[in-house]
Amino acid sequence: MSEAAVQFSGVSVRAGRRTILELDALRIERGAMVGLLGPNGSGKSTLLRCCLGMQTHVQGDIEVLGQRIAGLGVRALGRLRRRIGLVPQVLPSDREMPLTVREVVAIGRTASAGMLRPLRRADWRIVDEWLERLGLAPLAGGGYSEISGGEQRKVLIARVLVGRPEILLLDEPTANLDWGWRQRLVQLIEDLYRQMHLTVLLVCHDLDALPAGCRRAVFLCEGRLIADGCWPEIIDPALIRSLYGPGLSVRLNDGRMVAAAGGADHA
Amino acid sequence: MLDLAFWAPVMAGGLVAGGSCGSLSVYIVAMRIPFLGVCVAHAALAGAVFGALAGLAGDLLLWPALGAAVVTSLLLGLADPRRTRMDTNIMMGLLFSVTMGLAFVGFGLFGVLGRSDNDVRSLLWGSLAYCRWGDVRLMLAASIVLGLFLLAFGKEMRAIVFSRQDAAAAGIQATAVWCVFLVLVAILITVNFQTVGGLMIYSLITNPAAAAFQLVRGSVRALLLALVLGGISGLGGFLLSAATDLPSGAVIVLVSSLLVVAAFGWRTLRER
Repeated sequence: MSEAAVQFSGVSVRAGRRTILELDALRIERGAMVGLLGPNGSGKSTLLRCCLGMQTHVQGDIEVLGQRIAGLGVRALGRLRRRIGLVPQVLPSDREMPLTVREVVAIGRTASAGMLRPLRRADWRIVDEWLERLGLAPLAGGGYSEISGGEQRKVLIARVLVGRPEILLLDEPTANLDWGWRQRLVQLIEDLYRQMHLTVLLVCHDLDALPAGCRRAVFLCEGRLIADGCWPEIIDPALIRSLYGPGLSVRLNDGRMVAAAGGADHA
Repeated sequence: MLDLAFWAPVMAGGLVAGGSCGSLSVYIVAMRIPFLGVCVAHAALAGAVFGALAGLAGDLLLWPALGAAVVTSLLLGLADPRRTRMDTNIMMGLLFSVTMGLAFVGFGLFGVLGRSDNDVRSLLWGSLAYCRWGDVRLMLAASIVLGLFLLAFGKEMRAIVFSRQDAAAAGIQATAVWCVFLVLVAILITVNFQTVGGLMIYSLITNPAAAAFQLVRGSVRALLLALVLGGISGLGGFLLSAATDLPSGAVIVLVSSLLVVAAFGWRTLRER
């Protein structure tokens, strides 16, 4: 069995009196791309926060890159987080933000450069390389708040990648994007996964947001794991209906799963 | 003709207060927390009031004022919005009302105890016109410490301005850096507050950045421009008030506000 990147054993997360995540066992191998799916409030983002040690009121064992989260001090947790890259669900895009695109991407080098040390030329070179690689170089000097939502997502992905993470956590990277941008980002994630051999945990609502390289899907509902298996074979019309309600069909299109209202199911 | 021996520290005070508050304004405006100045200033006032009630007087009142401002800023820094389920601005509103309430209870106690509160009332209405070289040295020292902090932790502050949550998720010691920043803000505002007064502080910790953000992109450029615009507001406003015989604090506030309007106008014309 290959080494685990993330392992949950008997994990329970509470928010007040409510249990928001309950996982008996979940293991994600290094180098795997796993889709985390489920309706709103099913515990997907909580699971990602657990991986980063940012979730409170957690019971049970969570091991990430061979380290037990519960036993880590502030500094050790900081070092572990540097090995994980999170692309958040909510975009920080305040109108007042004076940061340029290049500065936002450079934030990804901040932790690894260390305290009391400015970013060195080598850091900026890595930043510029990623700007170039993701086609963001023409926007580098522009304001982050002035670019489109799709471009902002790309910038956030670049910001994470300059830190050279071993695990990439993507929290709904295609949310609120038009169809064209969704396709471009899905392809980008697919390319990065193949080129960098990262472990990828991808939270999404849209079945068509899972790249073709994603071979496993984990379904959560009300904080519990209800299905875990090979993608797209795991797709069962009854499962989709039980999660999202009746009137939804799924079909395979060009290697990717697409959900649509009505019609026949073709899993 | 200005009597330079008397007015030189006043001009230097205006310049230093303008420059330091101007550079601070970049972070305060970018993080949308302009209420921070009011909150910290009232905490300092409450500290000074209770310091005076405890028997302290004159320059010694600075210490309880600093203590109360620092404790308030640490409470703000350590409060996790997710755990408290309160936005930073709401937290500031709460702390502001508590510290203002405490300050006025303290003022009431002076009457109950039959003592004079003149010493602390002068803090409430601090004026640039009474700024002396000793005050300027104190303001300069606080500004230098802030400058050194921004030099050392500029990249961490950039990450925190972008998103405190994301900075922590990326392995940056965001809470520690944020708390140190807030403590320095508390010190700078308290030192400036007792010298130049609240009205000027509140305008100088928002207007220079608001103007700079209209004109430039990039955190370093914005920081430098806000510093310059703050300095221009502080010194220029004073010179204008000296020439017109109008109150210096009010003129400085109006000059800094006019700079925002001018910057907005310039950007609008440039984008046409």
